[in-house]
Amino acid sequence: MTTESGGASPSVTRRSFLRGTLGAASGLAAFAAALSPLKDLDTEDYTLEKFLQKHYKEMTPAEMDEVLARIRSEVEQRHGLRPDIRDVKPKDGVEFVYALHLGRCIGCRKCVHACVEENNQSRSPEIQYIRVLEMPRGSVDIERGNHHYDRPTVPDEDHYYMPIQCHQCANPPCVKVCPVEATWQEPDGITVIDYDWCIGCRYCEAACPYWARRFNFTEPKYARDREGNVIMNPNMSYLSNRPRKQGVMEKCHFCLHRTREGRMPACLEVCPVGARKFGNILDPESEVSQILRTKHVFVLKQEVGTLPRFFYYFDEDYPRSEKISEILPSSEPGGAR
Amino acid sequence: MESKIDAGGVRGRDGGAPCWAGALVAPVFLALAVWFLLGPDGIDLPAEEPSAIDPALLATTPRREILGDPPVILIDGFQRTCMECHRLFQPREDGTSLQLMQHRHIKLDHGINDRCRNCHHVEDRDRLVLHDGTVIGYSDVVTLCSKCHGPTFRDWQRGAHGRTNGYWDASRGEVRRLGCTECHDPHTPRVPALDPMRPLPGPRAPRMGPSHGGRLEATRARTGTLTGRTRTPTGASDDH
Repeated sequence: MTTESGGASPSVTRRSFLRGTLGAASGLAAFAAALSPLKDLDTEDYTLEKFLQKHYKEMTPAEMDEVLARIRSEVEQRHGLRPDIRDVKPKDGVEFVYALHLGRCIGCRKCVHACVEENNQSRSPEIQYIRVLEMPRGSVDIERGNHHYDRPTVPDEDHYYMPIQCHQCANPPCVKVCPVEATWQEPDGITVIDYDWCIGCRYCEAACPYWARRFNFTEPKYARDREGNVIMNPNMSYLSNRPRKQGVMEKCHFCLHRTREGRMPACLEVCPVGARKFGNILDPESEVSQILRTKHVFVLKQEVGTLPRFFYYFDEDYPRSEKISEILPSSEPGGAR
Repeated sequence: MESKIDAGGVRGRDGGAPCWAGALVAPVFLALAVWFLLGPDGIDLPAEEPSAIDPALLATTPRREILGDPPVILIDGFQRTCMECHRLFQPREDGTSLQLMQHRHIKLDHGINDRCRNCHHVEDRDRLVLHDGTVIGYSDVVTLCSKCHGPTFRDWQRGAHGRTNGYWDASRGEVRRLGCTECHDPHTPRVPALDPMRPLPGPRAPRMGPSHGGRLEATRARTGTLTGRTRTPTGASDDH
């Protein structure tokens, strides 16, 4: 420092020396204090192996196997559960589409919680991929929807229910804004996230017009059963439901560890009213293909041009009266069909 | 930081304003250091203890359990087929429901379809009958329903109506289309507003501002009651 260089100079007075030393000491102290949280870092989280891990798309199968083995032992160590983790690839000739029958949904929120159960989201703070909006009848303005509804029973007569989750857009704004390409669209239409590549900037969350992305503000916490064992789904894959860490984004991925193996997503199977439909749009005989051909279908916020793969549909309005006398007179034009 | 030290050390020789700046900044830095080391540990998020939903509420089983083909029912602890009783009892001529011991629980509320024999075979009670007299088994009940409920059957065939569980890809597992009677009671087929049920708890995320229904404290109090009420496995009435 300059104070030392001019030792013989009369410019270094006792006062300026003390002032300089005090300034330097306090600066260093503040710097050390600001860095002190680093002490608490789990060194296992920051191994050289992890630091050098490549992007998902650049990993060779052998490298992926190594990473999977590492995650397997990590999960086992931390949560005491041996996961069946693998990297499930998309299949050729498959493009997934979801359809949801608005006339059926009763707002029971079973899908929300079946999803959490399946996909190992943090239970506290709570992360849920599906948001069920309670909407006033006669409006599709989602600004008027309320997802905090709390009623003794659902459905409510004056409302209908509109669950929203990731729409797996064909033109996804979240993918465009990612500065590190940690999120991308797969050939089967699912937009995925490499949780090890995400830097947590949350641009994608801001870009999504469907409010579908969730951020891990804290280290995820999982529930435990009475015996103290962690409640976690051991059926995992790299791009879907393996445990996340603090500071990364996550979202619905159509349960790709299930659906890429031919199974239905968890939210669909639990739906008590059959409002949820899922399948391969490239197969003209699939349920979703037929629904899209034959039903009144719409997408949310069509005007923003995201081309969602999540469709809402409803039935023709045929008479709902039980009494045949009320149905018969109106049966001439457009009545009971 | 470096510039401040310079300010104290070099430019300070002129005794100008920078020394005062250095003298002011030093205590600020020290205060910050004390705050960082001894102050609160990060932001206290209103995180509650993680809790799980009762798995029984997330069962993927159908709403109703269906009869076998031929149906076998449990009567006084014995498994019986329909014909074991019905070969003894003759059907009533007018075909209206006979309030016998075994069928008292049946409430027939199926619109104008109010005759047992419209669907049940008169002689062979282990079978069903179509409008044209074709005899079908209980496992083929969808065909029977389709004879009146055309549009619904059409939607069911296309997958727009009803539930499908298991696999979407038939080449890799069973695509399980649920039949009519796995949701609807054939005698009272209308599901009243599809079973009013208690909704599972909503998100516990804090709600900000009055437009979203209240402040943080209000949310905490509210979700606290929610947690106590529905997260515990008390809701036998929640499921069906």
